[in-house]
Amino acid sequence: MKAIDAAEVSKRYGSTTALDRVDLAVEEGETFGFLGPNGAGKSTFINILLDFAKPSDGRVGIFGNDCQTEGVAARERIGVLPEGYSTIDRLTGRQHIEYAIRSKNAHDTNPLDVLDRVGIRDAADRKASGYSKGMAQRLVLGMALVGEPDLLLLDEPSTGLDPNGAAEMRKILREENERGATIFFSSHILEQVEAVCDRVGILQNGELVAVDTIEGLRNSMGGGTKLVITLAEIDEDTLPDIRALEGVETVVSQGDSTIEVTCTNDAKMDIIVELHQNGIDVVNFRTEEASLEDMFIEYTGSGGR
Amino acid sequence: MSWPIIARRDWRNTAGQRSTKVLLGLVAYVVLLAGYVYPVLTQEPYSTARFTGYAVGWLTTLVPLVGVLLGYGAVVEEREDGSLLLSLSLPISREDVLVGKYLSRSGLLAATLVISLVVAGGLVVYPYGELDPLPFIGFVVLTVLFGAVWTGMGLAVSLAVSTKRRALVLGVTIFFLLVVVWDTVVDALGLALEAVGLVNGELPEPLQFVVGLAPGRLFGRITDGFLNPAATVDGAWYLSEWVALVLFAGWLIGPLGFAYLRFRGEDLS
Repeated sequence: MKAIDAAEVSKRYGSTTALDRVDLAVEEGETFGFLGPNGAGKSTFINILLDFAKPSDGRVGIFGNDCQTEGVAARERIGVLPEGYSTIDRLTGRQHIEYAIRSKNAHDTNPLDVLDRVGIRDAADRKASGYSKGMAQRLVLGMALVGEPDLLLLDEPSTGLDPNGAAEMRKILREENERGATIFFSSHILEQVEAVCDRVGILQNGELVAVDTIEGLRNSMGGGTKLVITLAEIDEDTLPDIRALEGVETVVSQGDSTIEVTCTNDAKMDIIVELHQNGIDVVNFRTEEASLEDMFIEYTGSGGR
Repeated sequence: MSWPIIARRDWRNTAGQRSTKVLLGLVAYVVLLAGYVYPVLTQEPYSTARFTGYAVGWLTTLVPLVGVLLGYGAVVEEREDGSLLLSLSLPISREDVLVGKYLSRSGLLAATLVISLVVAGGLVVYPYGELDPLPFIGFVVLTVLFGAVWTGMGLAVSLAVSTKRRALVLGVTIFFLLVVVWDTVVDALGLALEAVGLVNGELPEPLQFVVGLAPGRLFGRITDGFLNPAATVDGAWYLSEWVALVLFAGWLIGPLGFAYLRFRGEDLS
């Protein structure tokens, strides 16, 4: 069974389209990163999963339960860190965890253990309205962890966390994934996604433009290798020759005597050989792995190339 | 079914607030005062059954005001600050929130009314009055339902709008229209019609029916028809206490039902 199964989900507000026919299947046990610039529709999608918002078209289910018609059943097996929440007035941190325990019927959970795990045990009996944003984020992560959920659904989980807190968050997510939980989280920060995700989906202007593993995205993007070659001199005639080689995607002259070539791994040596045969001395060369940043820019067109 | 969790939390939270204590204290004070002055200001015989007709007049304005003020913030407050999303992220439905809040807020008013009416009944009986238990119990139940109508009205407003300020304005407006303005307009209408010679004393029956649609008027007519031995309800069939009972049930369910249907399909974020 799929952890999340979305079919043709659209959401329109008047004439603006926030989500455009999104098809997405998240497998049980994987860590899935939902990536996109701000305003791409990530939160809209998660709000539909949680039934905060109703889809204009299409349907989406969590473990086979329709998110709109069987919302409570769908949410019984998940832990959620939503966006735009606030803590509940007048309740302490511990009472928040107890609230989650009662609603999920997880009565053998000790609230203090949960607070300990997210690092705010010391603040257990303080009113949560006095918490900082980072502490509130930890508290709600704690609520999400109650009852060993099968799916963790996190909307921009590192918001308000310092780098240390973000690292702890990643550690918890990894532990939960090892326990068997599926993780689905959205982010606009690439390195977080790169660090923990098995697969990523990239959302741009409400459309899901790519769903793949990090590796797969690299492969689909010019084999994922970038060759930066410094030549003794540059000869304009050689560039087309290199471009014609099998496996070469792009050749860009940097103006000075450096060229950048993106290509498959196998084509690297061919390029060097070709240059040699043309009588051009290679002063230096290095390879770079295409970063997710490059891919992200490539896919979303949010930067020039 | 998670509404008991919501109800318990809301009850504790709401009961602890000073504004709630003031509102409920006012209700208790007025009910006790009514019980205390009833034997002083009215003619014999005194009984808990006759007291019902007297108490209605004290309650038709105050209970609506307190009900609306208890209910208007119930949901919209949490919606505006975002903590509603935290609850709805858990396996808790919008219906659970609605039912829990309704039972908690109308329950607070009900508990206040029951306790204060029982004590007021004691003041009526002691030392010269007569205990006539059945009509009095009926009156306590009816008053609790009247409180629920108005708490439900406040809650309906709370479901229908997205900010607390708007809820307050809408709730108070409804209170003014159905309670304060209604009576004024009805009085003015009677005087005007009489002045031009169209009616003599009483409004024509169809008009009485329309005038009698307000919840407070229905509350009075049901009390007169079923509970108060000193009063009778007469006129066309549609002015009877039975029809009033049906209309009263409509007020109990209608506003909250409509607001729920709207809230159910609403985008909250």
